[in-house]
Amino acid sequence: MTKILNIDPKQTRARGMIKFTDIPVNQYSKTIEQEKENYTNEEFVRVFRDMAVIREFETMMNAIKTTGQYNGVEYNHPGPAHLSIGQEAAAVGQAFYLDTKDFIFGSHRSHGEILAKGLSAIQKLSDQELMNVMETYRNGTILRVVEKHCKNTQSAKDLAVSFLIYGTMAEIFARETGFTRGLGGSMHAFFTPFGIYPNNAIVGGSADIATGAALFKKVNLKDGIVIANIGDASLGCGPVWEALSFSAMDQFKKLWEGEYQGGLPILFNIMNNQYGMGGQTNGETMGYEMLARIGAGVNPEQMHAERVDGFNPLAVADAVKRKKELLLAKKGPVLLDVVTYRFSGHSPSDASSYRTKEETEAWQTQDSLVEYRANLVNADVAKDSAFDEILENTKDLITEICKLAIDKDISPYMDLNADPKAIEKLMFSNQRIEKMEDRECETLMPKEENPRVQQIAKKVRFGVQDGQKVSKNKVYQVRDGIFEAINDKFYTDPTLVAYGEENRDWGGAFAVYRGLTEALPYNRLFNSPISEGAIVGSAVGYGLCGGRVIVELMYSDFLGRAGDEVFNQLSKWQAMSAGELKMPVVLRISVGSKYGAQHSQDWTSLTAHIPGLKVVFPVTPYDAKGLMNSALAGTDPVVFFESQRVYDYGEFFHEGGVPEGYYEIPIGEPDVKIQGNDITILTVGATLYRAQEAVEILREKYGLSAELIDARSIVPFNYEKVIESVKKTGRILLAGDACERGSHLKDMVQTISELAFDYLDAPPVVIGARNWITPAHEYEDAFFPQPSWFIDAIHEKILPLRDHVPVNNFTDVEMIRRNREGV
Amino acid sequence: MATPIIMPRQGNTVESCIVSKWHVKKGDQVKSGDLLFTYETDKATFDAESTEDGTVLEIFFDVGDDVPVLTNMCIIGQPGEDISAFLPQDEQKEEKKEPEPVQAVSEGPLVQKETQMQTSGFFGISPRAKNLADKSGADLSKVVPTGPQGRAIERDVRSLISQGALISKAAMAQADGSSEYIGTGLGGRIILPDLVQGEKVVSEPVQTLEVPKEQKIDYTEEPLTNIRKIIGKSMHKSLAEMAQLTLNASFNATAIMDYRKKIKGAMEKLGLSNITLNDIVMYAVTRIIKKHKAINAHYTGTSMKYFSDVHLGMAVDTERGLMVPTIFNADQMSLNRIAVESKKLADACKTGTINPDLLQGGTFTVTNLGGLGVESFTPVINPPQTAILGVCSITERPYMTDQGLALYPAMGLSLTFDHRAVDGAPAAKFLKDLCEALENFELLMAL
Repeated sequence: MTKILNIDPKQTRARGMIKFTDIPVNQYSKTIEQEKENYTNEEFVRVFRDMAVIREFETMMNAIKTTGQYNGVEYNHPGPAHLSIGQEAAAVGQAFYLDTKDFIFGSHRSHGEILAKGLSAIQKLSDQELMNVMETYRNGTILRVVEKHCKNTQSAKDLAVSFLIYGTMAEIFARETGFTRGLGGSMHAFFTPFGIYPNNAIVGGSADIATGAALFKKVNLKDGIVIANIGDASLGCGPVWEALSFSAMDQFKKLWEGEYQGGLPILFNIMNNQYGMGGQTNGETMGYEMLARIGAGVNPEQMHAERVDGFNPLAVADAVKRKKELLLAKKGPVLLDVVTYRFSGHSPSDASSYRTKEETEAWQTQDSLVEYRANLVNADVAKDSAFDEILENTKDLITEICKLAIDKDISPYMDLNADPKAIEKLMFSNQRIEKMEDRECETLMPKEENPRVQQIAKKVRFGVQDGQKVSKNKVYQVRDGIFEAINDKFYTDPTLVAYGEENRDWGGAFAVYRGLTEALPYNRLFNSPISEGAIVGSAVGYGLCGGRVIVELMYSDFLGRAGDEVFNQLSKWQAMSAGELKMPVVLRISVGSKYGAQHSQDWTSLTAHIPGLKVVFPVTPYDAKGLMNSALAGTDPVVFFESQRVYDYGEFFHEGGVPEGYYEIPIGEPDVKIQGNDITILTVGATLYRAQEAVEILREKYGLSAELIDARSIVPFNYEKVIESVKKTGRILLAGDACERGSHLKDMVQTISELAFDYLDAPPVVIGARNWITPAHEYEDAFFPQPSWFIDAIHEKILPLRDHVPVNNFTDVEMIRRNREGV
Repeated sequence: MATPIIMPRQGNTVESCIVSKWHVKKGDQVKSGDLLFTYETDKATFDAESTEDGTVLEIFFDVGDDVPVLTNMCIIGQPGEDISAFLPQDEQKEEKKEPEPVQAVSEGPLVQKETQMQTSGFFGISPRAKNLADKSGADLSKVVPTGPQGRAIERDVRSLISQGALISKAAMAQADGSSEYIGTGLGGRIILPDLVQGEKVVSEPVQTLEVPKEQKIDYTEEPLTNIRKIIGKSMHKSLAEMAQLTLNASFNATAIMDYRKKIKGAMEKLGLSNITLNDIVMYAVTRIIKKHKAINAHYTGTSMKYFSDVHLGMAVDTERGLMVPTIFNADQMSLNRIAVESKKLADACKTGTINPDLLQGGTFTVTNLGGLGVESFTPVINPPQTAILGVCSITERPYMTDQGLALYPAMGLSLTFDHRAVDGAPAAKFLKDLCEALENFELLMAL
C-alpha cells in the first residue's frame, strides 16, 4: 500500500517464467589440511573440546533421566530433557565465527547451542570482559558458587567455562543459582551477556521472535546478526512461515532508506535432525524433500539457502561465516538447512518406535566426535591421546559441576515459604522508563508542523459545550487521545517503532495513526504482512532486546491468529527470565461491532486469563490518552483494547476535558464515572455508554441513584474503589460486551462476592453478550447488552422495581436452561 | 342489569386476598359507594365499595376465604335477574385466557408465594439485610420480603426499623415467627420476657359494629393453639434463664412535691423547663446509682460490665408501642437538663423521628406507670441491664403524729432486678438509698 510503487498491469500480466538458481547441497569439501590456513591447531582441538563438553553434558542428562545417576552421582530430575546427542558439530560449527553481538535464539533442544555459543563467547572475550560479565550478572551470585566450589578456576576462561556449564545445569535443575533462577529450565535456558537469547519450548517459537530481534538490530543500527535455531519440523508451523515472510519483506530493500535500507540480519538456521518428535519430515510429514528448497519460495534471493553437512563442524562454520558476511551486508534473510541426527530420542521417554536400530547405528558410525577426531589425528593436528585427555577432563568437569548443581545447600531452590512473593514479583517489571535509549528521535518533521497535530489543536476537548453535544467534526475524539500519546512517544523514545496491518499510508484501519506517515520514516512506522503471529512475535523479540514497540491486531477476533505469541511469548518472558528481560510492548487490539461473527467479538477475557499480561480497555478520550501514556512509559507488555464503537466519541465524563499536556493514568485503577448510592454498575469497555443510559432510566423512572464505574483496566485491577462502592450501595451489576460465559466479569463477581459478601443485598449480577455468534448488525440489540437489560436484570435479580414490566428474561429458570443447553 | 363486584387487585404481585368482613348480606339494598366488604392482603386492609345501586343478589365467598384477585365477589342487581353468567368459576376461566404481557410477569406470583412462606418462618435474606437486622435488632419474623424471589433485602429491614419492629437476640431465638408480641424492651424491642408475658396482637378488623352473628369468625383459633404451645415453652425457658424479682417500696413525696412547686413558681424567671416528678426521680437515680455499681451494669452471662457513667433509659409510651430512648451521661446533667432531654426524647419517639442510635446503650431504665394510677407493678428488665425502676402513683397514706393520725403523699417505687447479677440485699439497699434521697431532695441537690 504505497503510491511510490506502481503496479503496472502490462508488466503484471506479461508472459514469462520464474527462474530459480541452484541451491547448494553439502558442497563443502575441504580437508583439514586445506582448513589449516583458517584454523590454528589449537582452534581445531578446541572445536573438539566444545563438542565433547556438549556430548558429556547431554550424556549426563540422559543418565540422570534414565538411570537416576551419572558417574556415581545419584539424582532425580523430574523436569524435561530434550537432548541433542549427535548434533554437537552443528552447534559448535555455528558458534565458531559468532561473537557476543550475534544473538542466537533456540528451541526445546538447545543445550548444545547454549554451551557452544557460550564457549565461543568465552574464547572471544578478554579476561577482563569475562570477569566483568560474571561479576555483574545477578551481582555475582553464580560466580560465587563457581569460585568457591570448582577446582579449575585459575584462569578467567577456565572459571568462565565452569560458570557457563554450572549456570546452565543449575537452571535445568530449577535452582535459584541457575541463569534465570530456574524459572526458565531446560527448554528456556539462556544467557544474554554471551549473546544467548531465549530458547523456546514451542516448536518454531523462536522464528518470529528472532525476526523481531533482527528488526531491533536493524532499526537501532546495532552490530551483529541474529540466528533462529529451529527444527526441521517447525517448517510445518504457520508462524514460522509468517516469520519468513516478515523477514523477507520487499520494503526493507525497496522502501526503507539510507542506512536502514537492506535485508534483515537474520539467519533461519534449521537444525534438520530429520524428525519432529516421531514424525519424519522428509518423506512423511513434509513435502520439500530437501528443506533448503523452501528458500526458493520466499524471495528472489531464495534466502541464499543451502544445505550444509551438520556432522562436520568445519562445514557448518564455513557456511555460517559466509552467511554472516551476507547478513552484515544487508542481504538477509538467510536459510540454512543443517542436516544432522539425534542419537538420543526426542526425550528420555522416547522408545524410538519410529526408526530402526540400523538407521541410528548407521549415523553413529559417522559420529562427528569420532570422525572429526580421526581427521584431526590423521592431519597431525594432535595426538590421539590428547583427545582422550580432553574427554577425561570433560567428564571430571561435568561430574564436579553436576555434584554442585544438585547440592541443595550450594544450589538451593527458591524458598517460596520464606519469600512467597519470589515468583510473583517477577511477573511484571513495573518500571517506568521514559525512553529505552537516550539518543535523538528520528522524525520527518517537528511535532507542531504535523497537520494532524494542528487539526487536533482546534478541537474541543470536552464533549459538551453550553449544554449541547459538540459535533463529531469538532470534538476531540478517542482516536485523537490514542494518537496524541503515541505521537508524543515517537518524539521521546528513539527506539519506538509501530507496525501492523495498514498502519502506514492508510493511517491504521480506524484512522488512529492518521498523520504519522508524514512524520515518520519507514524504519519507525511500516506495514507488515497479514501475519498476526509474526506481528506479535517480532514485537516480543524487539521488546526483549530493549526496544519499545507498538503493534496492532486490527480486530480482537484476529487474536487467535497470534495465540501463541500473545499467550506463551509476550506474557511469559519477563518472568521466565527472572527479570533479566523487559517487555516494553504495547499490543493494540480493536474490538469491533457491526461486522458479524468474526469481526465483532470482545476477547478481553482471554488475555486477562493469561498471567503476565497487563490488560486495559479505555473508552473515553481522557482515559485512552492517559492509559496509553502509562503503557508507553512502562516496561511490561500491555494489551491495549480499543472499541470501534467509540473511536469518534468525545470526552463526556472528565471535567475540564482532555488535557493538552502529558499525563498518565495508572494501569489498574477503575474510575467512578457517575456517583450514586443505590446500586453500583461496573462496566468493561464501550458498554459504559449503554450503562450510562440505564443510569438515566433508573434515576428518572425509578428514583434510584446508580454509581457507574468504568473498569478501564482489567489486569491489574484495584478492587478497593469497587468494594467501597458496593459497601455503600449493597448491590452491583457488571456489564460488558464479551460473551457472558467465561467472561472476566464472572471472575470479578467472584472476587467481589468474597470481599463484600456481608455487604451484599443481592448476588452480584453479570450481563454480557449472549453465548452465540455475533449476528449481523441488524440483530445486535438482541446480542449485546442494552439499557433495558440493565433495568430488567436489576428488577429480576437485585431489586424489584415498582410497576416495572420486564421485556428480557433474566429468571433463574432461563439461566439454568441456557446453561443446560450451552447457549 | 346485574353487575358483578370483583375482588380488586392491589398491586402487581398480589395474587389473592382474604375476606375479612362482609358489611352487607344477601338481599340487602345498597347504593353506589356503600361499603360492601373488607379484605386484606399480607400488607394492608382495604374496603370495597359498591359501584351500583340495587340489591345484593348473591355473595360468593365467606369471611376468611382466600379469593383470587379479579374474581367476582357478589352480584348487585334487581331481584329476579339471571346471575348464572357471573358465577366465579366462569370468571376464573375467562381470566386465564387473558394473555400475559411477557413471561417474566408470570413470575409475579412467585414473589407472592415466597412472601407467604415467610409466615411459616422460612425465607431468604440478603447478607446485607441480615447484618442490618442483627445490628438494629429488627424483628425478621415481621419482615415483608420485597426482593427477588421472596428474598428479604435491605429496604425491607429498613422498613421494619422505621416501624419499630425490633426484637432482642435472645427473644428472636425463641420467638415463633407466626406470632406477634408486644415489645417492652429498648425502643420497643421484643425481649425474652415478652414471649412469656406478651399477648398476641390480633389484627383487628377495621370495623367492629354490627357484626352479624352468623358471620362471627374464629380465625384466631389455629394460631392461638400454636401460641399456647410456644408460650408454654418460652415461659419455661425464660424462668430457667432469668431471675427477675421485684421489690416495692414507697417514700414520702412531700419534699419533691414542694420542690416541684417552687420550680413551677420560678420557671419563667429562671428559664427552667417544666420539671416533672418523673424527672426528679430520674435525677435522683443518676446520683444514687453510682454508689450501687451492680445496678448500673450489664450482665453478659460470663461477666459483669460496670459503667462509670449513667446512661439512663426512659420508657416512653407511643402509638407504635413502647420505646426506650437513652439519656446519655445523665449523671453529668442538671435536673433541668434532664427534664429538657427527656422531653425532647419523648417527643422524638412519639413523632417517630427518634434516631435509632438513641434507642440503645442504656445502663439502667426508669419506667413510669404512675400517671395511669398504677400503685405497684413488676417492670421487665431490658437485657443485658441488671435492673429497672418502675415509678408508681402517689397515694395518701396515714402516719402517726403527736396530734394523732395524719396523711402524707406516698410515691411507690418498684425495682425489678436480675438475681443472677444482683442479690436481694444490695438491690434493697439501692431502693432504700433512693427513697431517702427523694425524701430529702434538697439535700441531694446540694451534693
